[in-house]
Amino acid sequence: MQYMLLIYGDETRWEGLDEDARSEVYARYSAFGDEAGGQVTDGAELAATSTATTVRIRNDETLVTDGPFIETKEALGGYYVVDCESLDAAVALAAKVPGAEHGAVEVRPVHVEEGQ
Amino acid sequence: MKYALLLTNQADEVASWQDLSEAEQQKLRAEEMPQWGELFGWIEQKGLKVEGLELDSPNEARTVRVRDGETLVTDGPYAETREQIGGFFVIESDDLDDAIELASRVPVVRKGSVEIRPVVAQ
Repeated sequence: MQYMLLIYGDETRWEGLDEDARSEVYARYSAFGDEAGGQVTDGAELAATSTATTVRIRNDETLVTDGPFIETKEALGGYYVVDCESLDAAVALAAKVPGAEHGAVEVRPVHVEEGQ
Repeated sequence: MKYALLLTNQADEVASWQDLSEAEQQKLRAEEMPQWGELFGWIEQKGLKVEGLELDSPNEARTVRVRDGETLVTDGPYAETREQIGGFFVIESDDLDDAIELASRVPVVRKGSVEIRPVVAQ
C-alpha cells in the first residue's frame, strides 16, 4: 500500500535556524531516508509558502494569486511517498520523520482505482 | 526545476463526495474523464514530465506527533480547515507558466484551488 506522509511545521521556526542548525536537520532527514530504505519511493522539500502561486477558476475566469491559498501558522513543508504493508506501519514510519517532533506528519492512503 | 501542485478541495465538496454511493462516485469520475483526457493529452503534446497521485479521503488520515519522545496519533487530517489536499502533481519545468497552465486544466481548480510550490533542489 502506498501512503503519503505530509510534513507540516512552523515556517518561522525554520527561517530562524542558522546554517549549522539547518545542516543538522538535513542530516537527520538523510538518516531517516537511510533507515526507511526502500519504503520511501518519493519525496520532496517544498519552498516556503511565500513563494507559492495559487490558481483558481471561477465562472470560466482564471485567477492567479501570489501566496498560499490559506495562510496558517504551520504549513506543508515537504512530503514522502512510502510503500508500507499497513496504515500502522506507515504511522510508525511517520513517527520517525524529524518534523514529527515539533510539527506534525499527516498519513494519507494513496487512492487506487479498482482494477489498477 | 520542479513544482509541486497541491490539489485542494473545499471541505464541503469532500463531505458531499463521501456521502455518495460507490456507483455515484464512479459516475462522477466518468463525467470528469474527458477533462482528465484533455489534460494528459496536453502534457504529452507539450512533452512535459509530470507525476501525480490521488489521496484517499481525509477521513482515512492519521496525524502523528512526537513530543518528549512520546508518539501521539490522532484520527483525521492535520488541519480541519475548509480546504483539504486531495491530490498532488509534480511537474518538471523551468517555466512557472507551465505549472500554472497545468493547474488551470485540473478539474478541481473550478471548485477548489491549486497551490503551486517550488520544490527545493536536493
